[in-house]
Amino acid sequence: MTVSLTYPHLGIGLGLRKEHYQSILDEPPQIDWFEAITENYLVPGGKPLHFLEQVRARYSVVLHGVSLSVGGTDPLDWDYLRQVKALVERIEPAWISDHLCFTGAGGINAHDLLPLPYTGEAVRHVARRIRQVQDFLGRRILIENVSSYLSYRSSEMSEWAFLGAVAEEADCLILLDINNIYVSARNHGFDPLEYLAGVPAERVQQHHLAGHQDYGDHVIDTHDHPVPDPVWRLYEAAVQRFGPVSCMIERDADIPPLEVLMEEVERMREIAEGAQAAAHV
Amino acid sequence: MSELAALQGRFMRWLLQGDPELAADVADDGRLPLQTRLEVYRNAYGLRLAEALADSYPAVHTLLGDARFDALARSYIEAHPSTYRSIRWFGDRLAAYLAERAPWCEQPILAEMAAFEWALRDAFDAADAAPLARADLAALPPQAWAGLRLDFHPSVQRLDLQWNTVQLWQAIDDGREPVAPERGPYPVGWVIWRRELRTWFRSLEVDEAWALDRMRAGAPFAEVCAGLVEWIDEAYVPERAAALMARWLIDGKVIGAHA
Repeated sequence: MTVSLTYPHLGIGLGLRKEHYQSILDEPPQIDWFEAITENYLVPGGKPLHFLEQVRARYSVVLHGVSLSVGGTDPLDWDYLRQVKALVERIEPAWISDHLCFTGAGGINAHDLLPLPYTGEAVRHVARRIRQVQDFLGRRILIENVSSYLSYRSSEMSEWAFLGAVAEEADCLILLDINNIYVSARNHGFDPLEYLAGVPAERVQQHHLAGHQDYGDHVIDTHDHPVPDPVWRLYEAAVQRFGPVSCMIERDADIPPLEVLMEEVERMREIAEGAQAAAHV
Repeated sequence: MSELAALQGRFMRWLLQGDPELAADVADDGRLPLQTRLEVYRNAYGLRLAEALADSYPAVHTLLGDARFDALARSYIEAHPSTYRSIRWFGDRLAAYLAERAPWCEQPILAEMAAFEWALRDAFDAADAAPLARADLAALPPQAWAGLRLDFHPSVQRLDLQWNTVQLWQAIDDGREPVAPERGPYPVGWVIWRRELRTWFRSLEVDEAWALDRMRAGAPFAEVCAGLVEWIDEAYVPERAAALMARWLIDGKVIGAHA
C-alpha cells in the first residue's frame, strides 16, 4: 500500500484579496477554496481577521506566507513562526506554504523573493530549516518555486533538480507556480516542459496561475494581468503531467471585480476537469 | 561565514546600497545584459517599499505630489530599511523622520499628517475588545467611584495637532481640493479609535484631553476629578467628570472598569 504524502485535493481556488471581501460574503462564488496571504493577517484584530474568519466559515482556506525566508542565513524568526502558528490554530487552513528563496539578511527584510544558488550546500541548508519549521508547526509545508531574473555562477544543478532535492531531503510538499516556471524559463532560456518533467509529482500539492509583464527580452512576474495564453498552455501540460492538483489564480495589482476573475476561474476549472475526466478513462 | 551567507550579504548590499560586488556572482548567459538582471531586483525593492509607504500615507502622498513623495520614499527607505516580516509595519517611523529631516521639516504639517495616518492604521487593525455598557458602570456602588480605574480599547490613540491636519485629511480623503494648511493658535487634542470595524476620530476639549490621558495612564477617577479644577469651577466638576465618562462609554472606548 502506498501512503499519499499530500493533503486532500481542494479543487479550484482563488487568492483572497481585500477588494473582494464584501462580494464574496454577499454572493458566495462557485469556488472551492481561497488562499490568504499569511502576513496580511498577522495583525492583532479588526477588519482583516474579521473577514478572513467570515470567508473561512464558508470556504476552505490555505495560508500562503511571503517572509519565512526559509533559504535565508539569518536565524529562523521564531517570533514570526509563533504568530503563524497562532493564526493556523485560529483559521485551521487546509495547508500552509511559503517560497523557496530568501527574503533578507542581516536583520533587514527586502520584502522580495530573492533567488538561491542551486548548490548542494543550499539544498542541505534549506532542507534543514524546512524540517525545523515543519517540526514546529507539526505538519508538512509547501514550498513554492519563485520567478527569477538572475542565476548564479556557483549553481551546480537546474532549478527543478534543486526544488526536487530540497523537497525530498526536507520531506515537504511543492507549490508549483506555473507562471513562475514560464517567467523563469523565458529569463533563463530553459524548456518549461523539462522543468515539469523534472519535478517529483508525488509531492506537488498546489499550483498557482498568474499574469506577468513581457518586456520582450525578459519577463517580470507582476500578477497585474489576466493569465496569458502561454501560461494556460503550460498549465494544460502540467495537468497532463501531474493530474488533478488544487490550483488557483493570483492577482495582486489592477485587481478587477470578482466576476471578471471568475471567468478565469472557470477556464481553469475546464482545464482541470478535462484532465480529471481523462484520468478516469 | 558560509558561502551562502556571504552571497546573501552581497545581494542585500546591492539592494540597499547599490554595491556592485554582486555582479561577480551572477552568470552571464548572453541572453540579457547582466546589469538588467541586477536592476530588476533593485528597482523592485525600491518600488515595493515606496508603494507600501504610499499605501499607508495617502494624504502625505497627495500633499507632496508624486515626485516629492518619491524623493521622500527613497530617502526614508535608505534611512530605515524594513526590519519587519510584514510590510504592514514598514514606515512606522515616517512621522519622526518628517519632523526631523530637511526639507520636509520645513512643512510641519507633513509630520502631523503622517502621525495621523499611522494612528488610523493602528486603530484599523488593533486588537478586538468588547466595549463596556453604560449599565455596567451604573451598577457600581457610590463609594466605588473614587478609586475607579478604566481599561480602554486597544485601538485608542491620542494626538495633539497644531495644524488643521484632520480637516485637510478629510478633504483629501473625500477627493476634494485640499484646504490650505493653517497653524492654529494652540495644539488641539484628538482621539482616534475603532468601534467594531469602523474607525472614528474626534477633537477633544483641553480638559477632556487631559482627563483621558490621565485615565489611560491608570489614574483613579477621584484624582482626575481633582485635576479638573484647573479648568472648571469646583462646583461643576462632578457633572463634567460624569459627562466625560458617559461620552467615553457611548464612544465605545472603555472596555473595563475596576476599583
